[in-house]
Amino acid sequence: MNHEEAVKIVMSMLEKNVEDLEMSEDKMDKTLVDLGVDSLDIMLVIMDVGEAAGVSISDDEAEGLDTPEKIVEFILGR
Amino acid sequence: MLGIQSVASYLPKGRVDNLEQADRFETDREFVEQKIGVATLPRFEDTDSVVSACVAAFDRLCGKANIDKSEIECVVLCTQNPDKGGLPHNSALVHAALELPEECACFDIGLGCSGYVYGLSVIQSFMAANRMKKGLFFTCDPYSRILDDDDKNTCLLFGDAASVTLISETPRYKLATAKFSTKGAGSDALQKTANGLEMNGRAVFNFALQDVPKQIKRTLVSAELTADDIDLFLLHQGSRFMLENTIKRAGIPAEKAPIRLSETGNTVSSSIPLLLEEELDNRPRRILMSGFGVGLSWATAIYEEEKSS
Repeated sequence: MNHEEAVKIVMSMLEKNVEDLEMSEDKMDKTLVDLGVDSLDIMLVIMDVGEAAGVSISDDEAEGLDTPEKIVEFILGR
Repeated sequence: MLGIQSVASYLPKGRVDNLEQADRFETDREFVEQKIGVATLPRFEDTDSVVSACVAAFDRLCGKANIDKSEIECVVLCTQNPDKGGLPHNSALVHAALELPEECACFDIGLGCSGYVYGLSVIQSFMAANRMKKGLFFTCDPYSRILDDDDKNTCLLFGDAASVTLISETPRYKLATAKFSTKGAGSDALQKTANGLEMNGRAVFNFALQDVPKQIKRTLVSAELTADDIDLFLLHQGSRFMLENTIKRAGIPAEKAPIRLSETGNTVSSSIPLLLEEELDNRPRRILMSGFGVGLSWATAIYEEEKSS
């Protein structure tokens, strides 16, 4: 998977699960909290991204993924 | 064949305003109402106990079904937070309070949110094996007894309640099929510690959204049914957000799966019978129940209406 594909997965899962959120490249470094993603939405997004990218994300690993870009980097590192 | 004849429940009079709790925990009220989905929580007061709540549920059952107490041959009670630390087993205390006959088997089951689906199967199997005709299955698990007052993860979720299900040879619903699963290695996701109840919300969430839908689908396949064949899906009422997404992932039509925990919260093994009691008036032909939680334990069963009922 390349960076572009990973970005696409993360952005689509955020938009799918977070009401009224429209993602764009310039929002990738913002924190999920600043994007209006609450703690329950984050759990759902991480689960969906993991399943879509075919990677397993442990609870501890998920804790540190607080921006869309960090999620992208994580799945590319697997 | 044995099955479910009638169901009654009891909610204690004590109430906790969950929005006030939200303020105390500096949590957004909208989040508590919309995502957790709980506005008020029923709570045991000082005078309430597992036994008194079960007796109150039984009193309500007597208003729904003609019950001759001398005919009750079996009492099973599902709880993880019994009176007197569980010694004696609380089913014996309920037996005494209801003045049931000596020729009556009584035992407790220690399961949480999967307890109703498990317990129904246990009591029906036990009664069938021993040729019994009428029995009572109680649920009552006052998690308020073990809540850590400073833990918002659990304080905003759990409510106290009790239920009783009359099992008889003249049932309205009979068990068609059931599946039971356990992931003991994940049990630390929800456990009692020296500080009280502790929950790893993410682990419970992942379990509910990933494992439970698979079991629901497997149960349907083994019964050679699809979601279209089920009139009513009664899923354990853990939290609104978790339920909505579990329902979606299981491919269940949302209109067939009530989410009703605003005034009850998560009442552990009583959440499914609370719903069942309300829904029986609609005469669903086929019901799928799925309970999941502490253990990690999950169980799914399909009950079918008895044609002559």
